[in-house]
Amino acid sequence: MYGILLIGISVFAGFLGSLLGLGGGIIVVPALTLIFNVDIRYAVAASLVSIIATSSGAAASFLRDNLTNLRVAVLLEVGTVAGAMTGFLMAARINAQALFLLFGGFLFFSAMMMLRKKQDQRALIDHPWSATLGLGGEFKSETGELVAYKVAAVPLGLVAMYGAGILSALLGIGSGIFKVLAMDNAMKLPMKVSSATSNFMIGVTATASAGAYFMRGDIRPEIAGPVALGIIVGSWLGARAMIHLPAKLIRKIFVLVLVVVSVQMILRGLRG
Amino acid sequence: MKNDSKLELKISVFLRAGVILAGALIAVGQAMKFRLDANPFFNFQTYDPIPLQELILFHLQRRDYATLVSYAGLVVLICLPLFRVLFTAYLFIRQKEFALAGIASGVILALLLAMGLGVEL
Repeated sequence: MYGILLIGISVFAGFLGSLLGLGGGIIVVPALTLIFNVDIRYAVAASLVSIIATSSGAAASFLRDNLTNLRVAVLLEVGTVAGAMTGFLMAARINAQALFLLFGGFLFFSAMMMLRKKQDQRALIDHPWSATLGLGGEFKSETGELVAYKVAAVPLGLVAMYGAGILSALLGIGSGIFKVLAMDNAMKLPMKVSSATSNFMIGVTATASAGAYFMRGDIRPEIAGPVALGIIVGSWLGARAMIHLPAKLIRKIFVLVLVVVSVQMILRGLRG
Repeated sequence: MKNDSKLELKISVFLRAGVILAGALIAVGQAMKFRLDANPFFNFQTYDPIPLQELILFHLQRRDYATLVSYAGLVVLICLPLFRVLFTAYLFIRQKEFALAGIASGVILALLLAMGLGVEL
């Protein structure tokens, strides 16, 4: 019964994640800890596996639309993978209460970020590293025309990705919100490009720490199995339902849910 | 920027197939061990780290093939992004973008090193 319930919750997490452009970790970790009473370290490890499933499963559609900037992704993965390794090493020294507090804070921040109005800011000059590596690119706009873009502040982007990698490993999340934020605001990439590139990167970031957690024995099939299965099915369903559902309304409701869950996670952290 | 979109699409199809294979292995493993009345999470309410080698040996000794099949599915899933970066490095080599190919190779090495961090010596 418990296994079926976890698969059901994970299907829901994958469905909602696919609909709202989030990884499943934001739902899976609170569900495992608050509903099933699983230790947060096992929950974080299981959640990383679900992020790999989401990212790998969605790759085809993003690449087909020519939105993913592979060059930017590969360069920034240097930062995220280094961050994930640091996060894995830090996780061994952080207690469960601190992880609950950090996760609660992250959920609240995510809720606020989901409410922000997004606006494209374009770079006028290529950063020297971008010019050398040819990081700029072009994408097809809604009107069908090809829009060229440049890439700014590459070193700042790398530092931000290092931070995103740490959080990913500590909290079992894809850190997509931070990655998109850095690519939009610091590197001035078009929003569609940064979302697709972030999706490409979250799987690689998650693998860096998931591989380490797996070898340490923290990824247990009893937990990670139902979660991965549910997320695979849920994200597949979500991608198909996307065009038929009012994503904006769902996003607003989800923000409320995030705030409530964030308070619960923080309270759990404070209770000890 | 040179375009090699056919290869990129092949990579994404490979990834999708990998996710399906991993999902199938995990589904088989879970189905083999399914019990309606059991609480499989009871043992995970407190953190008790046991190295992977010990866990695998334990399940092998008990002939617990259901859990081992689930582990196989998880391995496939965890390795997918590694192959993704590997293919991307190959793509850059084909495009004669050797600096980016070098960076991608560095990421692969870092991913392998990260896995090594979890091994208790």
